[in-house]
Amino acid sequence: MFMKIPSLKSVTKKLPITELESTDVFYIPLQAYFGTMKPLVTVGQKVQQYLPLAEGKDGSRIHAPVSGEILELNYLINENPHLVLQNDFANTTYIDQELESATELTDKIRLAGISGSGGAGFPTHIKYKTNAIDTLIVNGVECEPYLTADYALMYDEAGEILKAAQASAQYFGAKNIVIGLEKQNKELVKIFESHSELMHGVSFKLLPNTYPQGGELQLIKAVIGREIPKGSIPADEGVVVSNVATLLAVYKALELHRPNIDRVVTVSGEAAKHYGNFRVKIGTPIEYVLKKAGVDAQNVDVVLGGPMMGKIVTDLKQPISKTSGGLLSFKKSAVKENNCIQCSYCADACPQHLMPMQFASAKFDHDKQKFIQFNVLDCIECGACQYICPSNVPLMQSISEGKSLLKSLQNSVPV
Amino acid sequence: MNKVRTHKAPFVTSKLRVSGVMLDVIIALLPLVFFSYLAHGKYSMMVIGTAVGSALITDWLVPWFFLKKPNSPLDGSAIITATLMAFTLSPYTPLYMVAFGGAMAVLFGKTLWGGVGKNRFNPALVGREFMVAFFPVVMTSASVWTAGTYTVVRGLHPFSVFGQGEIINYLNSIFYNTNGALGEYSIVFLALAGIYLIVRRRIGWQIPTGLLVTFFALSLWFEDSISNYSIAGVLLGAIFMATDMPSSPNSNSGKLFYGIMIGAVAIICLAGGVKHEYMSYSILILNGFSTKINEIFIPRTWGRKTDVPLRIKQTVLLVLQIITVSMAVLGLNYYGYIHYLVFVYLAYMIFNFHFFTQKKLQDPI
Repeated sequence: MFMKIPSLKSVTKKLPITELESTDVFYIPLQAYFGTMKPLVTVGQKVQQYLPLAEGKDGSRIHAPVSGEILELNYLINENPHLVLQNDFANTTYIDQELESATELTDKIRLAGISGSGGAGFPTHIKYKTNAIDTLIVNGVECEPYLTADYALMYDEAGEILKAAQASAQYFGAKNIVIGLEKQNKELVKIFESHSELMHGVSFKLLPNTYPQGGELQLIKAVIGREIPKGSIPADEGVVVSNVATLLAVYKALELHRPNIDRVVTVSGEAAKHYGNFRVKIGTPIEYVLKKAGVDAQNVDVVLGGPMMGKIVTDLKQPISKTSGGLLSFKKSAVKENNCIQCSYCADACPQHLMPMQFASAKFDHDKQKFIQFNVLDCIECGACQYICPSNVPLMQSISEGKSLLKSLQNSVPV
Repeated sequence: MNKVRTHKAPFVTSKLRVSGVMLDVIIALLPLVFFSYLAHGKYSMMVIGTAVGSALITDWLVPWFFLKKPNSPLDGSAIITATLMAFTLSPYTPLYMVAFGGAMAVLFGKTLWGGVGKNRFNPALVGREFMVAFFPVVMTSASVWTAGTYTVVRGLHPFSVFGQGEIINYLNSIFYNTNGALGEYSIVFLALAGIYLIVRRRIGWQIPTGLLVTFFALSLWFEDSISNYSIAGVLLGAIFMATDMPSSPNSNSGKLFYGIMIGAVAIICLAGGVKHEYMSYSILILNGFSTKINEIFIPRTWGRKTDVPLRIKQTVLLVLQIITVSMAVLGLNYYGYIHYLVFVYLAYMIFNFHFFTQKKLQDPI
């Protein structure tokens, strides 16, 4: 693997976290990891800040980011349902007795509505329901270019993160806490170490500045030296990986009894005129964040997430969710596709050791068997192959087509 | 292609383009072109120039008719193909034959496969074998090599500053000599070109290393039963010909296997009495197995295990297939029927283009 992607972080790396003032209308996403959450409120209901608004089958929750009135329960943005909350700017807060009195860590986490901040948004209380954990890995590797939200958090709130890590490790009975950082951010080690009272059992793992080191599987290998295949459960190997932003939310639930209603978002990108790391309330529409940050969303492509794995925003009403670490703008550009020259750079760049060019040839040959033969389901869709491809062969498109093809096969054939 | 895709992740991409890859290969070729000028002056330049001109014209004209899409002959691929083909020729090769070779290299080596990147065989060697098949008398006679003796610089002695003696003479001779085909005048710069391409990641180390180690180890072993070979010719094949991206395998283990097998088949060819074409045959034979190698030598997916017994079984079967094909080629060569293979290839290419390739011209792979 030789791929170094320019980190492009310097523009926002040293910028402190700025509190973004609340907007007047929030769109609370009801889509969660295990399906759509059911509203706990009704239209017209006055709600206070921190009131639970909806709950999923697994107990996942989402809370009111501000006080106000519920306007709608099923507002669709990109076909996903959202609650609409009108801010009354009264700043009245709800005190959740259940959350305050909960003693079990996983209950607190569930009631505070915490889910993974790094990637897929897996509910943290389910991830934490495990035993025989040896090592807690704190994922401070934010390998996506441009993004500095996690860096800013570690810089500003290392103590809080450490407290949550210690509490989690104690809950698991884990002896070791390993904080994974990129070499380019090694100054953070000193910041963590300044909280010497919270450092017992804590060590650091400095990782190369290559993409995608922050992938869970790659991080686990770097820390415990074992490769585990995609789809397996890290806890079976005695490790739990937790993102720094998730741990900060755990800290707030534990020490302040406060639910998870905001997150830090990096605003950046080649077409952004203004940059920064902003603390944004969940449910804030993207157009508001961009306006406040001073970014003109006209004639640019707005991307939610990182530049490698993020998704293009088609509706600027779409809100910031618990997993949105970045809001980037890029110049609109057409991609020129050329013939694959079989240079194998995609295979060299693939962290999963796949051969992406074979997926492109499977797509154009309509060859299902080839997708299976070359293990398309092991792809983590990090985009490294597409980044390096000198011909812009539609590799990512081939991969997602291959995956949905195999999924439809699985569904149609009785096992 | 030049198709436009809607903007999807990733939203940043590397600046490297195909022309950048090609440019590095051209940079690696330039010193060798310079040495060919030192050796045979205008004769070398005429051969290389004719090959390149003919290839460029073919690459520009033919896609207009066959591929129904404009082509960009200046992407560098035609220049590389033609230069490499010229590097295997004598500086005194008749120019009409060189022009024919350059055109065939592009037409039957690339265009009819569907354009750049889609060829299954090394186009430079395809061009060369077309020349041998269509002009056997000239191409296989010794006279084409001795037709002229013109040299610009007879010898260079850069190592003589370190003293005298046999080793110094040897070093001077691998730095520059005027014997052999156009690309073979400086072993030192062939090796430097290889190192440059490996460092720049334009070729993997696996193919040249596997090929050279196998070839020279086996050549020592079978010293008595193989005829003369050209070290520079083997290097040219190992560094520039066998590493042609489209016609070689994709995975690292596959590349290593492929390099080793080319080295072994080249020795088999030499032992079987193949005179000039041992590198061409061995590379073209293995080109034919690249797809198969890709299917067997799949890199071990992260966290998963390779089925080692299955891999061994498949590898052994593959080696047997390769040896069988090599023997068949040796047989055809022995009875003087090898040019029929080229005619069969020619017919196959037209058939394949008409019924298959034509329908997939817009696909990038």
